[in-house]
Amino acid sequence: MEILSALGHGFAVALQPINLMACFFGVFIGTLVGVLPGIGPVSAMALLLPVTLSGSPEAGIIMMAGIYYGSMYGGSTTSILVNIPGEAASVITCLDGHQMAKNGRAGPALGIAAIGSFVAGTFAIVALMLVAPWLAKFAIAFGPPEYFSLMVLGLTVLAFLTQGSMAKSLLMACVGVTLGLVGIDQITAAPRLTFDRLELLDGVGLIPVVMGLFGVAEILANIERSVQREVVSARIGSLWPTLQDWAYSKWAIARGTILGFFLGILPGGGAVISSFASYALERRLSKRPEMFGKGAIEGVAGPEAANNSAAGGAFIPLLTLGIPPNVVMALLLGAFIIHGIQPGPLLITQNPGIFWGIVASMYIGNIMLLILNFPLIGMWVQVLKVPYKLLFPLILMFCIVGVFSSGSAVFDVFVMTVFGLIGYLMRKFGYEPAPLVLAFVLGPMVENNLRKSLILSQGDFSVFIERPISLACLIVAAAMILAPLLPVLRAKREAVALDQE
Amino acid sequence: MRIRNIVTSTLAAAVVAATATMAAAQSYPTKPITMIVPWPAGGSTDVAMRAIAEGASKILGQPIVVDNKAGASGTLGPATMAATAKPDGYTVAQMPITVMRLPLMQKVSWDAEKSFTYIIHLTGYTFGITAKADGQFKTWQDVVTYAKANPGKVTYATPGSGTSLHIGMEQIAEAAGIKLTQVPFKGGAETNAAVLGGHTMLQADSTAWKPLVDAGQLRLLAIWTADRSKIWKDTPTLKELGYPFVFDSPFGLAGPKGIDPKIVQILHDAFKKSLEDPATIAALERYDMVPRYMNTADYNTFVKQVIEQETAALSKIGLLKKD
Repeated sequence: MEILSALGHGFAVALQPINLMACFFGVFIGTLVGVLPGIGPVSAMALLLPVTLSGSPEAGIIMMAGIYYGSMYGGSTTSILVNIPGEAASVITCLDGHQMAKNGRAGPALGIAAIGSFVAGTFAIVALMLVAPWLAKFAIAFGPPEYFSLMVLGLTVLAFLTQGSMAKSLLMACVGVTLGLVGIDQITAAPRLTFDRLELLDGVGLIPVVMGLFGVAEILANIERSVQREVVSARIGSLWPTLQDWAYSKWAIARGTILGFFLGILPGGGAVISSFASYALERRLSKRPEMFGKGAIEGVAGPEAANNSAAGGAFIPLLTLGIPPNVVMALLLGAFIIHGIQPGPLLITQNPGIFWGIVASMYIGNIMLLILNFPLIGMWVQVLKVPYKLLFPLILMFCIVGVFSSGSAVFDVFVMTVFGLIGYLMRKFGYEPAPLVLAFVLGPMVENNLRKSLILSQGDFSVFIERPISLACLIVAAAMILAPLLPVLRAKREAVALDQE
Repeated sequence: MRIRNIVTSTLAAAVVAATATMAAAQSYPTKPITMIVPWPAGGSTDVAMRAIAEGASKILGQPIVVDNKAGASGTLGPATMAATAKPDGYTVAQMPITVMRLPLMQKVSWDAEKSFTYIIHLTGYTFGITAKADGQFKTWQDVVTYAKANPGKVTYATPGSGTSLHIGMEQIAEAAGIKLTQVPFKGGAETNAAVLGGHTMLQADSTAWKPLVDAGQLRLLAIWTADRSKIWKDTPTLKELGYPFVFDSPFGLAGPKGIDPKIVQILHDAFKKSLEDPATIAALERYDMVPRYMNTADYNTFVKQVIEQETAALSKIGLLKKD
């Protein structure tokens, strides 16, 4: 009851015309930056932060939050339509989403992404409201040993990302891990693989690499096979998911939602990893794993739900502990402090208007996003009819602007270009970029947490099996790797293997 | 005749050039000034610098445009400025302490003493050591006692190796005659989680711990500023605890080398006035920064001192560049 009255108070705040407008503006901008490749929520929020200064703290923070979860909605659009992820969390959506578009099913793919996002977004808000303080305890229970084991589990996902040769996939993972080594080593502060270049001290950026491997490479690859594209535009087909699609997607959405939510709460976890993990989970559980990579709708529904509920989950450590679990939340923390409000354990009691106002605005924002996105599906699908000679220069321009704006460094544009060429060659020779991206994200985290764990345990490896969460992760990881050896599961594994040939 | 011509024209050219410089210095500034902030937009340093710049631009009569050029621990911006900007006073940068520290740790493109024209020293951060409120450490003395009995067993989280927090903690440990173990994390969010979750016993960081200390979940054992904080009145400073240190990762403003002293003076005066402006002070307070003014000459001396101190501290913890 207490929660209901507090929430009522929150809606009173969120429904004030100015806050309603801030919410709409936020989710609208969010959808836009989500759709545009390269331009992510971070650059949009950093640019708009000064704008919020003139208004009330409620309006400013509601808008900033809207940009963030709005961008998670929009991110899948270009992944599905042109095989270029709108932001890093949508990399995995390319795999099956774009295949669906090629089969003339862009509409259902976009539709299920929007519905999955809505369900996940709403679930995350309800959970945020009901169990935030308890979940914050869960988040801080994760120390270096737990992260290490979780990331090891994450790396087993590799086995399920592979469409073709396992050897090639492992090779790409090695490249990804090596790339992740570039920069100042966090433990000893020694520069590694930087070749005395100041630009490399912070490592190679995720956004330029992703935009290069997917965006630029896709454009290069399409230049030489422009004829094929006619097929895509000729068969746009139905815009809505069928009953059969629903049957495949509903549990994928549910699982993705829960998985994403828990990974989102963890500092350093987040949307990118959750979408990869959800994809692997769906492929593992699917009755038709052979369809993955060929347009399985559950391969779109699960990850898109996961990255949206991760976005919602990420608010928990920020609002309850004042700990931002990712860069976007750090920016939001900045917005709070600029307005003289300190998020943390005292936020709910000291500033109930802000806390409940944000929660209520997120309900409203999610509904706005659904309304905003459904009519847009028809429009986005029409994008496929735009001739490539017009579409691709435009996308390339957005990639360059986006990558530049993410760190205002020309160097990042060079990185993107180089990875574009590498990505193009990889396609030519049948190497996939997804394992590279996964290893690039997880590799440094595995190394770093392993070394921190061992500093803490004074060199004792048993720390990984003595701690229950860590042990559980390692057992699941072992099961994922060893499962194909068991007779019961072998049949399924063979179906996957067949697909690989 | 010809020689005289050349001499005359050279002289004339020199005179013209000198007059032009003088004219430039007298009318400076005639166009917007770019201020490089080597941290991401929206962070504490960015917002503080924007507030200081706003105050200064009112006095200069020209807008100051902030250019966020983050990277390489806050050195990428100043390094780019040193390499590419003209010393005309229209490009300046925030100078974090890492500009002086990084050249001691690895090969870089600049010389902290020679590549810049230091203008004015501005302020520094508030750092402190926190422990879990319901843990065994109630005071800093508890930490010292425990660490003496258990060398190396006390772990502390920092936002990174080679940061002011890491170097500061090691200097304190040395002065106290104890051995601590550093666990480097990525920034204040992770160190807060580490100490709150009981993964490390202590945390050394800037005031990202504020909400948790205020809520009684973390206890502030020591504060590293020169004077006690206005907010956490009961927490002793390092000096009070018997360690002759103030660590606040101080920062100021500089341009590329070779700026006309007259222009330096104009910039110095404007930024000094801004530092005294109540609006600026209020903005700094939000991030627990205290104005720490130094004029141009003192700042130059200070840079030399910092380099000496950092060299000594880094060599003790083995982070000094090997070559």
